[in-house]
Amino acid sequence: MNRVTFTLNGRSTVAVVDPHKRLIDLLRDTLGETGTKEGCGEGECGACTVLVDGRAVNSCLYPAPEVEGREVLTIEGLADSRGKGLSPLQQAFLDNGGTQCGFCTPGMVMAAVDLLRRNEHPTRADIQTALTGNLCRCTGYVQIFESIEAAASATNGGES
Amino acid sequence: MTTLTYQRPTSLREALETGGSDGARFVSGGTDLMVQRRSGRSGTENLVSLRRVEELAGIDWKNDQLRIGAAVPLAGIGADQRIARDFPALAQAIAALGSVQIRNVATLGGNLCNASPAADTAPALLAYEARIEIANTGGTRTVGLDEFFTGPGSTVLQPGELLTAILLDARQSAGSAFMRLGRVRMDLAIASAAALVEIEDNRCTHARVAVGAVAPTPLRLSAVEEILEGKAPDGPTLAKAQAAVDALISPISDLRASARHRRRITPVLVARALEAAISMATGDAQ
Amino acid sequence: MSSLRHVGTSPPRPEGGDKVGGRARYIHDITVPGMLHGAIRYSDHAHARIRRIDTSRAEALPGVRAVITAFNTPEIIIGFMGDNPVLKKDKVRQFRDELAAVAAEDAETARAAAELIEVEYEPLPGVFSVEEALAEGAPLIHETDRRGKPLSSNRLPLIFGHDSGDLAAGETAAAFVAEGSFSTPLIQQSCMGTAGALAEFDSNGNLTITAKTQIPFLAQRDFTKAMASLGLKGCSVRVVVPTLGGGFGTGLDTHVYEYISILLAWRTGKPVRVLYNREQEFAYLSPRQSTESRVRQGCDKQGRLTFRSVEVVQDNGAYASWGATYPSVMLLPTTSLYRVPAVRFRSDIVYTNNTYCQAMRGYGNPEVTLGIESTLDELAELSGIDPLEIRRINCNQPGEVTPMGLKVGTCGLAECLDRAGERSAWSEKRGQGRATSRGIGISSLIHVGGGGKIYRSDGSGIILKLDDYGVVHVNYGGVEMGQGLHSAISLMVADGLGVKPSSVIVNQTDTATCPWDVGTHASRGAFMAGNAALKACAKLRARLFEWAPRVYGDLVAENIKRARRRDGDFDPGFTEELLAKLTPGQFELLDGELFPHGETGLPPLEDAPWLKVDLGRFLRAVHFPRAGGAGTVFTEEAFYEPATELPDWEKGYGNMSASYTYGCQAIEVEVDQETGQVTVLKLVSALDVGRVLNPQTLKGQVYGGIAQGLGYALYEEVKTEGGRVLNPGFTDYKLPTASEMAFPIELEFVETDDASGPFGAKGVGEPGLVPTAPAMANAIQDAIGVRIRDLPITPEKILDALAARDGA
Repeated sequence: MNRVTFTLNGRSTVAVVDPHKRLIDLLRDTLGETGTKEGCGEGECGACTVLVDGRAVNSCLYPAPEVEGREVLTIEGLADSRGKGLSPLQQAFLDNGGTQCGFCTPGMVMAAVDLLRRNEHPTRADIQTALTGNLCRCTGYVQIFESIEAAASATNGGES
Repeated sequence: MTTLTYQRPTSLREALETGGSDGARFVSGGTDLMVQRRSGRSGTENLVSLRRVEELAGIDWKNDQLRIGAAVPLAGIGADQRIARDFPALAQAIAALGSVQIRNVATLGGNLCNASPAADTAPALLAYEARIEIANTGGTRTVGLDEFFTGPGSTVLQPGELLTAILLDARQSAGSAFMRLGRVRMDLAIASAAALVEIEDNRCTHARVAVGAVAPTPLRLSAVEEILEGKAPDGPTLAKAQAAVDALISPISDLRASARHRRRITPVLVARALEAAISMATGDAQ
Repeated sequence: MSSLRHVGTSPPRPEGGDKVGGRARYIHDITVPGMLHGAIRYSDHAHARIRRIDTSRAEALPGVRAVITAFNTPEIIIGFMGDNPVLKKDKVRQFRDELAAVAAEDAETARAAAELIEVEYEPLPGVFSVEEALAEGAPLIHETDRRGKPLSSNRLPLIFGHDSGDLAAGETAAAFVAEGSFSTPLIQQSCMGTAGALAEFDSNGNLTITAKTQIPFLAQRDFTKAMASLGLKGCSVRVVVPTLGGGFGTGLDTHVYEYISILLAWRTGKPVRVLYNREQEFAYLSPRQSTESRVRQGCDKQGRLTFRSVEVVQDNGAYASWGATYPSVMLLPTTSLYRVPAVRFRSDIVYTNNTYCQAMRGYGNPEVTLGIESTLDELAELSGIDPLEIRRINCNQPGEVTPMGLKVGTCGLAECLDRAGERSAWSEKRGQGRATSRGIGISSLIHVGGGGKIYRSDGSGIILKLDDYGVVHVNYGGVEMGQGLHSAISLMVADGLGVKPSSVIVNQTDTATCPWDVGTHASRGAFMAGNAALKACAKLRARLFEWAPRVYGDLVAENIKRARRRDGDFDPGFTEELLAKLTPGQFELLDGELFPHGETGLPPLEDAPWLKVDLGRFLRAVHFPRAGGAGTVFTEEAFYEPATELPDWEKGYGNMSASYTYGCQAIEVEVDQETGQVTVLKLVSALDVGRVLNPQTLKGQVYGGIAQGLGYALYEEVKTEGGRVLNPGFTDYKLPTASEMAFPIELEFVETDDASGPFGAKGVGEPGLVPTAPAMANAIQDAIGVRIRDLPITPEKILDALAARDGA
């Protein structure tokens, strides 16, 4: 077993993991942070997307011990836990119909966070490219595009 | 209780020493390896992560010579403005490969070491005549990428050896392009093609053409190159080049497409890659 | 009903905050103390006799708590034909047949133990297509029926047919006839949240099962039957539905894995959860059935349809689930899409050793609409009539009764065709043809819009409970799958009762607290919930207003007293006698405030805000004795049963729905004739929805349906070989991604205000995907002059068709 020390949603976190476990197992099973979803386990659907050192990754393809010393941001860490606890981007998904069954939503939101950090005012085509690794079966994506556009036009990047 | 380990060496020497032991396996981005771990299945190998090895991490230019560290994430290569200018086919191949999430962790070294016949970066790198730097505890050697692949999933790498870098020479007057087709945007290639040409006085002076997903390894099409070199890059020449493709490839039928379909579309992709490369090369000349 | 303030608006969906915040709890997120993990051992053969099952190595694995097989467990047989034993004893009939199951302390151990189970088989020849299954001397998949009577054929004894009008006369009257064979693939519903169940027993033998189901009450019925097998007759079954993670039909039947979680929980005395990962979902969950159909129809010189004949053959797989009954919905487009004087329908449903099939969105409708709309385009070409025009010529009309006996009621198809034609620039785009490789195609649809009667009741119950703070708690037995049911309920209850949507809490679906509902299918959720809610709201309002005269005067007197405290000169301008004279009929409730209305002699509300009484305050007054209350609390239930008929399936006759949803889609495409790639340039959808309840969730339903329709048309297919699924994952089963949905989509909604619907609304859950594939096939035909009759329309098929055309 490996002991890993890393920053999870701004908090210093220590955990003991099987070296062959994936980051998603560490988050969901070891730490009980179940906001991150497993949709396929092979990097095709993006439901498990989290940010590691500020970049979107599939937590189902990311070795858990690799987070040593790194910063991990999940859907639970986007906003503080007071009140409704939604970031402007999450609120934009809620207001614009960007969620239906909701299973893809945490990963979709995290992919959007990654996009908006790199590109504050993405075009529709930029959004489509950025979300190509995130499958959704309910929405047909259109209202997800609209959610991200709304967040981007609201402030500077929608994440503040 | 498992005794397997996950090691995170920070130097090449350390990586080669740990990776050389029995039951050890190098893991770079790990995007292909980790699929096997889905639903918590345990592996049987000691993993040696290459993500923190300093010698594998850089993109370095020396005049027109480019060295891409094997463990640089594809996103980093794709975002490099100079690579996009000097090696557009590589940038296009990376943009077509997987998703943002995959490109953020997958590496060029990993993409090549997997030796998938469909590896998107391979045809582009073959067209650029990339060389591969290989290290072991005894030192380093360099092989041409066209000698690197030995079959589906296999390369010239020996146990304990590590692909450390991809070496490229920019040809400032060349035009180059990459084309691929999948079933949807997020897919392994059904077929792909890359082309590089240099044009002087309406004559093709240098041509490199490579294809992917249509043979046991990514493949240079020398016979097509020969058709082009010394000729005017016009319709009849392109038609001849396109017609020559079929005899050179040996596609299989799989879930993604039939061999027959691959035979129909690969010549089209080659022709389109050539057209784009020619237009870039002549555009530059003007 | 109070006035329409919230219906037609799009406040955030009530459960949406938890979803975007990562707080929603799916089956994968629910664990309970002491919970064990279940794993299932599936067959290694598509068809074989079971010789021996040896579980000893699995039992010996540390961490294993129980291993069950048919040999140590009571028999439970499931499926509406009673053909599917939960654990197989004599033989396996498909690769996904369950031989054994394990409960262990962790999922990895359970899986490892399942793999340690040794099974000896005697392989049998299998049949993997309808032709093989119906061939002379074909091996029988089921040797006997559920009563043990020997069977002689692999044909299911299910008859769905239809004959109306004079078919021969229709043939004679036809100036043009078009005919074709069409096939549709096996596809996977692909809910992003995979399947699972968590079963636990209490000390009295009562079962609680948290299950990813769309039919909590029919599941309760099925599980209750299974309880008898366990010797637990008389014990209760409670079905709790977690946040679903998508349904699309997967949850329309009970599944073997659910019974296995029950058996393992019963055997171990511990809660047991069984989960599918994506690979298992593809390999072991029932997909959408594949079909082969032959469609023939004719029209006269004016383009009027004279007859239609549809014959369908379905590869049912090894057991009967709801996939077998797709013909019940195929009857709709066959008999009632456009006006056809003579109609014939036949269906043949056949057992094979392939995976058995289940419901999926549209349920037989897109399968048949493909052939009807494709041959209609061929009739247009033969008769020289524009395809849009031939659809107008044959358009269904309001109030008509169709050959199936459907009472159409409102029908906005004509307006849908007009709007789609206009928004797609039909006349400009149509017939550009081969020179441009661009084309446009159109297809219409009919679907049930007011429930779909397939069971003895198509009803829904609802309970509305008002708490002391003016919050309405809704217990409804239908399932929020992501479609926006809870949003629709909150808006309809808000307007139906007179409260704000934020004061409507729709509780988790739970058979212990919710009244009976047949299930969330057939686009019926919002329609049924709304009608039931409006009934309950009317009762609740009547009771509230009955109480109002008794306490309202005192509450307003308090308001006046308060106003006087602030302003000593305050004068309400009327005598309290007026308040005492108010009758129940003179009260209104709006956005959670009670006030008098009508001819009361009281000043207008805008001048006298103190006439408004907060609902919570009113309720507390009625509840507690201080203000004259008498311990009264308000809970009302209602049950809505639409006035529809359970059709006679053999005759294909009966008005199965209270209303019908019509619409159409026009799609513009460009085809790369060298590679066969299809690029969608634009899509216009026009849909008669009766009334828009929530524009945002409505659009979401249609956009989502279109994406599924796009996948069905161009990309999706579960590939099998010898009964084994070859592409069990998203690597080789391609769903449309954001990059495929990169074309402009325009949505048009026609509001026909149907009398049967809540606020005039019709069901809209399924229609989005129904016309997409035929419209695509028609558009491709317009672009390149070849017609593909076999879904999905892959580049490979397009190049084949082009080669055949040019070679001919």
